[in-house]
Amino acid sequence: MLATLGFAPAVAVGQQSPAQPHVEALAADALDGRLTGSAGARGAADYIVSQLGAIGAQPLPGRFDFRLPFEFTAGVNDAGTSIAFGEAAWRESEEVQALSFSDSARVESEVVFAGYGLVVPESQDFGYDSYATLDVTDKIVVVLRYFPEDVDQELRGILSRYSGLRYKAMAARQRGAKALVVLTGPRSPNAGLTVPMTFDTAISGSGIAAASVSGTVGDALFEHVPDRTVEEMQAELDSGNPHVAGFAIDSVTLTLDVSVTREQHTGYNVAGYLPPTGAPVASDAKPYVLLGAHYDHLGHGLQGNSLARESERGEVHNGADDNASGVAAVLEAGRALADVERGRGVLLAFWSGEELGLLGSASFVDTEPVPMAEISAYLNFDMVGRARDNRLALQAVGSSPNWEGLIERANVPVGFNVQIQSDPYLPTDVMSFNGAEVPSLNFFTGSHEDYHRPSDDPAGINYEDLDRVVRLGTIIARNIANQESPLEFVRVEQVEQQGQRASLRAFTGTIPDYTAEVEGMLLGGVIEGGPAAEGGLLDGDVIVEFAGQTITNIYDYTYALDAIKVDEPITVVFIRDGEKHEIVMTPTARR
Amino acid sequence: MAEIGKTRAGIAALVMALVVGWAPAAAGQDGDGYAESDFLSRVRRLTIEGKRAGEGYYRPDGRMIVFQSERDPDNPFYQIYTLDLETGDLRRISPGHGKTTCAFFQPGSSLIMYASTQHDPESKALQAEELAFRESGQERRYAWDYDPEMEIYTFDRDTGAYDRLTNVRGYDAEGSYSPDGEWIVYTSMRDAYNRDLPAEEQKQLELDPSYFAEIYIMRADGSEQRRLTDVAGYDGGPFFSADGAKIVWRRFDEAGLIADVWLMNPDGSDQTQVTDFNSMSWAPYVHPSGDYIFFASNKLGFTNFEVYIVDAAGAKEPVRITHTDGFDGLPVPSPDGQTLSWTSSRAGGDGAQIFLARWDHAKALEALAAAPARGAGNE
Ligand SMILES: [Zn+2]
Repeated sequence: MLATLGFAPAVAVGQQSPAQPHVEALAADALDGRLTGSAGARGAADYIVSQLGAIGAQPLPGRFDFRLPFEFTAGVNDAGTSIAFGEAAWRESEEVQALSFSDSARVESEVVFAGYGLVVPESQDFGYDSYATLDVTDKIVVVLRYFPEDVDQELRGILSRYSGLRYKAMAARQRGAKALVVLTGPRSPNAGLTVPMTFDTAISGSGIAAASVSGTVGDALFEHVPDRTVEEMQAELDSGNPHVAGFAIDSVTLTLDVSVTREQHTGYNVAGYLPPTGAPVASDAKPYVLLGAHYDHLGHGLQGNSLARESERGEVHNGADDNASGVAAVLEAGRALADVERGRGVLLAFWSGEELGLLGSASFVDTEPVPMAEISAYLNFDMVGRARDNRLALQAVGSSPNWEGLIERANVPVGFNVQIQSDPYLPTDVMSFNGAEVPSLNFFTGSHEDYHRPSDDPAGINYEDLDRVVRLGTIIARNIANQESPLEFVRVEQVEQQGQRASLRAFTGTIPDYTAEVEGMLLGGVIEGGPAAEGGLLDGDVIVEFAGQTITNIYDYTYALDAIKVDEPITVVFIRDGEKHEIVMTPTARR
Repeated sequence: MAEIGKTRAGIAALVMALVVGWAPAAAGQDGDGYAESDFLSRVRRLTIEGKRAGEGYYRPDGRMIVFQSERDPDNPFYQIYTLDLETGDLRRISPGHGKTTCAFFQPGSSLIMYASTQHDPESKALQAEELAFRESGQERRYAWDYDPEMEIYTFDRDTGAYDRLTNVRGYDAEGSYSPDGEWIVYTSMRDAYNRDLPAEEQKQLELDPSYFAEIYIMRADGSEQRRLTDVAGYDGGPFFSADGAKIVWRRFDEAGLIADVWLMNPDGSDQTQVTDFNSMSWAPYVHPSGDYIFFASNKLGFTNFEVYIVDAAGAKEPVRITHTDGFDGLPVPSPDGQTLSWTSSRAGGDGAQIFLARWDHAKALEALAAAPARGAGNE
């Protein structure tokens, strides 16, 4: 029995791979790219549920349905925003439009024009603070979009980093402003236009009402400013001279009424269970092995993560490799494991929301339909259908000292030229489980020219090697399911991304949880031995104040990080178990 | 160990050191127009666990491999393992303590021969010392130390019994069986310990014991130990040809810089130089057809070893097989001649591992036939 599992000959030439019907069903145009929350994704879930039934899987212990729903923010809409001052009022979206991260609020107050609304942290060794001479407490702040147009290259490099609208909103809020109005100056690109509302994974608000207005509204406002037009004011500011000051527009009271709705949708993970077939392992030996693959993809690729060429934009992104291949692998490994003698139960999970940010697996880890502490290992299959030159990457191997041996033995009869990679901080669902201290392993046959494009079709799948991935995964899962003790977990230190935030010099050792919707910044983890860990922060803590700056979301936090200095102690206020605490930690130099 | 390159001892030790630790090398230049994929297909990494592994030798039925690997967290030195090529079952066959190396299946029995210091009462202390050194975060270049305690043992896979075959001070290792299983040919440095050395030779011993290494032969039970070579410089790494008619080995010059592949009869007669490759050409192994010999050479760069083949008569220039930076060496064909096992640093990291690939014998014969006559390629 066991031997046949390991050494069953590969599918004979001319015979169809058992994985192929799965790939073709899931990557069919009818499923419309399987965008999380869409009808296509529901159709894919239906297919998976029927296949789980065919394998003989049951719903998870204590459940009656294979589907596990989770809520997520699918978009943001302006539900009617208006602005009024003097005799005039506007409410059309060409004239006034909420910014996507705005809170809903009605604010009536005096107005202060604050130039470009830029605040460059002291750490940059360049003093630029649009609020330096202004008191904006409880006022509505009007700022120009972007940053001074006429500055030299070096200064652009600095200013551009702090010119994001989220950053400007945070700077205004930090100074006590109640609302932010953004105007695109006549000397800038997109002059006079409102800012389109984009879904920038803005799952949380920014703690301030914020809207953009048209040139018409801006001109009307500047009629209340003696001696100056918007254009003249902008020209002065565009030199980059940090001493060009803003001013209060005393003669008007402005009313800004911002209304945004964040659309909550429901996505579905699908999960099945194969009970132990042999003598069960000791109850304290983590009785489950989990195999998983995400089944969602990009729909028509309109969410910002498509790599479609101009000519193919908007077409269905079928996602045959990403990740119908992984779903097929888990289904076929499940079929093989169903009949094999095992001391552990096997969980087969199919995630949704992966392409939107690991939403489904994060929900599973949070809600624990099966306790994380009972899962001995997680095998993830993400893009396993495009093997070339006999190569297969096995990633996240650093999450357990047991992986190398398990892989070595299982691969002997399968024979891939395996590429061992240690790092578990991967852009796939392994990240969620590694974070929950489940030893994790990712199977990956590599990226390719059709990645995240409509051309990722079944025709590109290497089924012969996909079947070998199934064999390898099956043998590893079987061996884990039968070994006496569960795998040992090792936390790998996260190497922070290089380049992206190259100028970030101070190191805190905090790992934000990017998927959380909380007021503040939820810590998904702290790096062992780092300043945060030394200071006493734990994962699950919610940071609400950092080095004197209020933190309502992750964006605030990243900006606050810019302002801290190496070896200068800072105070961090955080919430743990509903109670506010305070610690002092000292950032170290980034290695 | 001194910095490689500064002493003769360093050079000789490098031969073994490169099996396990490697330095990136400049890309080798290659003029013969072949690619690795012309000879090797379906390349795959066989060993994965642990810091390093190497010297994978087949059981005569081709279904199992025996190799050395540093993978035991409690022992920083090589131990000997068998790996079943059909089931993936792994078994450590050395006792777990001491240093071990160079294992080989006895044809027709359940015995595996290997070299070990397992009887050395110091062995556990040496392990602890080495582990503490590594723990301290200090680094040194890996070097083979030719431990004079190294002796040849057999392990019986059926009974679990160990049997010690050699019992003479001086490194005894690098052994392999004759195809009929009756003889073991091996390397010994006993000549440095069995007499009073003149001052000059004593200095030599302290600098580099491998200078004294010679090829020996004995019966499979350890009796009739007899010396076959008598030339200064490291003679080592002997293997029988598949028909048992020849022994292939490598002979270093006295300076330990240049090595070449040699053949002789099992009684030590008719010692013939096969390569004249002006480089460190070592780890020879005769293809089961008897037509050609695999070996490794750093012809293309001091630390860039590649696998080559040369016709058994040495009439032609060698043909390059591997084309990958770093270390590729210790080539061993499977008994059916269809697969090549070799040790390579191509997976990265700081140690080499064992790789397997399908071997194209016909293509090899074709390339050898087309190779220029020996010397013709040497400008
Ligand atoms: Zn994707």
